[in-house]
Amino acid sequence: MSEVDTVRPAFRRLGPDDPRAAADWGRRRVLATELRSVRGRAYPRINGLLREKSWVFFEILLPFLTTSAFVFVYRALQAPEEFVGFVVLGGAMTAFWLNVVWMMAAQLYWERDQGNLELYFAAPMDLMSVLLGMAIGGLVMSSSRAIAVLVIATLVFGVSFSVDQWALLLAVFGLTLAALYGLGMVLASLFLMWGREAWHMTQAMVEPVYFVSGLNFPVARLGALGAVAVATVPLAVGLDAMRQLAFAGGETYGLLSPGIEAAILVAMVVVFVAVARISLRSLERRAREAGRLTVRWR
Amino acid sequence: MSAVGPGVARPSGPDPVAGALGSRQGFSPERTRGGGTTEAWRTFATAVRLGWSMEANWTDPALFMIYSVAKPVSAALILVAMLEVVGGASTREYRSYVVTGSALWAFVTSGIAGLAWSILDDRERYRMVKYVYVSSSNFLLFLVGRAVARALVGAVGAVITLAFGVVLLGVRFDPMAVDWLALAAVSAIGVVVVVSIGVLMAAIVLQTRQEAWSYSEALAGALFLVSGAIFPLAGLPAALQVVGLLTPLAWWVEGTRQALFADPVSGIGGAGSAWETITGSLVPDPPTILLVLLVTGGVGTLIATFVFRVSERRAKDRGLIDRTTGS
Repeated sequence: MSEVDTVRPAFRRLGPDDPRAAADWGRRRVLATELRSVRGRAYPRINGLLREKSWVFFEILLPFLTTSAFVFVYRALQAPEEFVGFVVLGGAMTAFWLNVVWMMAAQLYWERDQGNLELYFAAPMDLMSVLLGMAIGGLVMSSSRAIAVLVIATLVFGVSFSVDQWALLLAVFGLTLAALYGLGMVLASLFLMWGREAWHMTQAMVEPVYFVSGLNFPVARLGALGAVAVATVPLAVGLDAMRQLAFAGGETYGLLSPGIEAAILVAMVVVFVAVARISLRSLERRAREAGRLTVRWR
Repeated sequence: MSAVGPGVARPSGPDPVAGALGSRQGFSPERTRGGGTTEAWRTFATAVRLGWSMEANWTDPALFMIYSVAKPVSAALILVAMLEVVGGASTREYRSYVVTGSALWAFVTSGIAGLAWSILDDRERYRMVKYVYVSSSNFLLFLVGRAVARALVGAVGAVITLAFGVVLLGVRFDPMAVDWLALAAVSAIGVVVVVSIGVLMAAIVLQTRQEAWSYSEALAGALFLVSGAIFPLAGLPAALQVVGLLTPLAWWVEGTRQALFADPVSGIGGAGSAWETITGSLVPDPPTILLVLLVTGGVGTLIATFVFRVSERRAKDRGLIDRTTGS
């Protein structure tokens, strides 16, 4: 695709060297640039997996041991065997939540500290493309951890799955990830506004969210708090639905039916992505007006 | 310990250089030797003050306290919810067990993370590590000082989680039954143990990229398994129980439990445990706990210091000290 092809007809007569024509991009060129931005932002994350070998040990093997500790708690209490499956599934899903909190929500804040944020704003691309690239790269990173935890723990602890509705299970899983990363995009702009407080928010959003999401136990046992969590936290609603769909007798512990929870996830995806878009626009405008794009370490 | 580095002879008598320059110019001969108790204390105190400023100067104390406490209290609540889900008589006696274990773990996590994050913070974000490194300050002492603030926050979180457990979660606690002397002794050794694991983590992080932010939490989480913090080691396969018996943290947690509560559930011993098989006794007594904690903690500290020195040398050779990364 030549550059002339991508310039709108009204500007072609000005010639390719004319700055007015150069500044006016057609849809195809915009789309191609956005896709390149997505790929470019996902690249360091995916490639980073291969460059940092220690990641395999610290991000795959050690989290499996953490998950195992909670399995042994249930074993020590002689809990029903399906609870072990709940812990393993929860342990796998923590990979995505940690990735959302550390590498989505806090990322724009880091980028500003590193001096990349002003480059993002100055580049001819949408910031949503950058966030989408981060999300895709993060998904690849955390999927490898989640799969490892799931496979190793299943083999070691003999977890047995019983899936009747594969399509719904996969849909719920996909929607959970979309909602989680949508929430990550919202948090990314909020964290940037909160400045240094973001660092502490990042830490405060791990265990408390695990608790209200019922990471290692059925969220329904939390009563009203669990219901609020299912309505607002993607991890809570996704885990509750997946447990019901993946384990025999799982529906006994569910808060709502998986179909309703899938609908909640759809609503979450729409709301989170829309809010992320609005908040990023607002952030960009305010950052330009206040000149705070280059203000670091605050 | 000599203030002079290995292989450097300390001159006897008045320092000729200091004499030539005079004190008016602020010359400190200790700085050229890179040591001295006063210099070490100054480094440590400055690092502590710096760490606290960075940790806490962004917000008001009340908000800071909420952030600091939310994490350990939630961790305890997860375990209590797990007990409640299972129900039954056995869960009652485990409540004190898991609340104490998760409260102590708040200190472990923040103590380990403090050192590792000091390197990542100063290398990747503020880009100050190289300047600190080339200064006359003792680098390791500086890192330990930087980590004190975070460890203090963890310690406060641990105490508040215990109080939360006693007041709201039904943990039975009698202040008159506490063995305060034993508590002070195991706590003092426990702090050294946690710091030494933090030094080990710092050595690893010195070699890695920016993604290592979560490594310390991963390590602390993995140590959960073999420390008897949230379930007795007797529940593990025998080989893993032996690993647990060699881990100073397991003895620290056990010692703290025995000092805090009268007749607690043992994380080390118990019927059918590796401890019983090896020693013939059902649970270790307090003097044994203290002795094993001292030995394992001492060995662990020596190993951590050695690994840090090796890592430091490698980082210097390969130019990793002023490297910044990102993903």
